[in-house]
Amino acid sequence: MNVNLKIWRQGSDSDKGTLKAYRLENIDPNISFLEMLDILNIKLVKEKKDPVAFDHDCREGICGSCGFMINGRPHGPQKATTVCQLHMRAFNNEDDILLEPFRAESFPVIKDLSVDRKSFDRIISSGGYVSTNTGEAPEANSISIEKEYADEAFLSSACIGCGACVAACKNSSAMLFTSAKVSHLSLLPQGQKEGKDRVAKMVATMDEEGFGSCTNTGACSAECPKEIGQINIARLNQEYISSSLSGFLKKKDG
Amino acid sequence: MSIIKLLTSSVGRKILMAITGLLLAFFMAFHLFGNLFLFVGEEAFNAYVNKLHQLGFLIRIAEFFLVLFVGSHAYSGILLWIKNRKAKKVVSSYSKENTPSAARSAAFTGSIVFVFLATHWSTFWYKFNFDLQGMSYYYVVTESSVGFGSPAVSIFYIIAIALLGYHLKHGIASAGQTLGIVGTKYESIYDNLAAIFWFWIPLGFISIPVWFGFLVRII
Ligand code: HEM
Ligand code: SF4
Ligand code: FES
Repeated sequence: MNVNLKIWRQGSDSDKGTLKAYRLENIDPNISFLEMLDILNIKLVKEKKDPVAFDHDCREGICGSCGFMINGRPHGPQKATTVCQLHMRAFNNEDDILLEPFRAESFPVIKDLSVDRKSFDRIISSGGYVSTNTGEAPEANSISIEKEYADEAFLSSACIGCGACVAACKNSSAMLFTSAKVSHLSLLPQGQKEGKDRVAKMVATMDEEGFGSCTNTGACSAECPKEIGQINIARLNQEYISSSLSGFLKKKDG
Repeated sequence: MSIIKLLTSSVGRKILMAITGLLLAFFMAFHLFGNLFLFVGEEAFNAYVNKLHQLGFLIRIAEFFLVLFVGSHAYSGILLWIKNRKAKKVVSSYSKENTPSAARSAAFTGSIVFVFLATHWSTFWYKFNFDLQGMSYYYVVTESSVGFGSPAVSIFYIIAIALLGYHLKHGIASAGQTLGIVGTKYESIYDNLAAIFWFWIPLGFISIPVWFGFLVRII
């Protein structure tokens, strides 16, 4: 198959950036989208031109490295699929395909399609952890967890931190990501002890990093490759409300 | 968490907006109940308004809170709208097909509602309280030039209330999410009540200018 690519080329965040057109011919429809970009880059290198920068690592949909906009949609047209798991057969012969980076003030462009998502790491490190003693592994069955909670926590933990939710959102809000992390931990007994502080700290970091505010449009869940649900955002809000109520009851420096 | 932090964080502002928005939506139900006396007749409506005015001081307190709610709701709404525009580097770069238009237009519909409320207060409310000039309340609403005697007033009223309904179509659902009602056992009750507030109550308001402004003159 043949495809007509338009790719956003930008040297760094301070550069202006433009769209450049590329044409690839005789592409096997069964290769992955990133392999198609590999072919383009090999061609560009041979022509002594600058290859297109894009992020990827596992190429099996589990690490969260890959991700850019394809025809205006994060990770492309296929539901619940990271771009590394997308294949050229999802497109038609002679299709025009537009590639742009995830657009958000909190995701500065590193180069071309590659953006800096360290703001997500800072949200995680402000509260997305549990404090436990190190040493021997604890007895596995000493804390019993109801299956429903374990299943829900597992669904939330499926978030790979790719940033598609921010890119899909008209407000560049990081609520889906943050709420998946908050939910994952607050659904489990190990995470509940630090729960109240966690949600306050993670929301504060999310705001400091310049992400927008959630207006419950639902676009994030529709585009999330791991189908993280809106229920996570409701859970974050519940945690936040109970965290602030308990803050009023507690004395300062108590 | 301190109260300042609660009220100024992105999530806190949304909680404030959800609470004030829902209280205003409840107020609309009472307001409509009163307005429907117009259909009972001139005497019934005038008697109802006189009863309200006899409450005097209580009404002033309620009005103070209404203005406070509208003010803080609109203020937070505008602040969030500005913050959200800044956060998005390229404003058009999001998937519109997954963002319902009621959600996309919330700041716009809210702003029109705000303009409507400002004119509503400076006309109806002002006349009722300070400038009756011997007219009955019923006459002010149904015949005078600040009321549905003017087709322009009627049309603006109909459009503004329709947009308010649209604002609430998103707003009520959004408030359920913001207040964490979604995912609890109250979710289905909440969802079932939502349509009363975003559809039936606005429709009730709209029936008044449609009838007194237009139909009654044709029939
Ligand atoms: C009688 C008047 C109004 C009522 C009953 C009302 C009700 C609501 C409700 C219930 C919400 C949902 C809060 C949430 O998302 O959690 C909301 C959201 C909102 N309102 Fe209002 N509102 C009114 C007037 C206004 C005005 C005057 C403005 C501003 C100019 C405004 C702007 C907004 C905005 C920007 C949102 C956020 C929408 C979103 O979540 O995407 N509203 N409103
Ligand atoms: S919530 Fe979904 S879209 Fe957002 S970072 Fe996690 S996996 Fe990616
Ligand atoms: S490269 Fe790891 S998820 Fe796509």
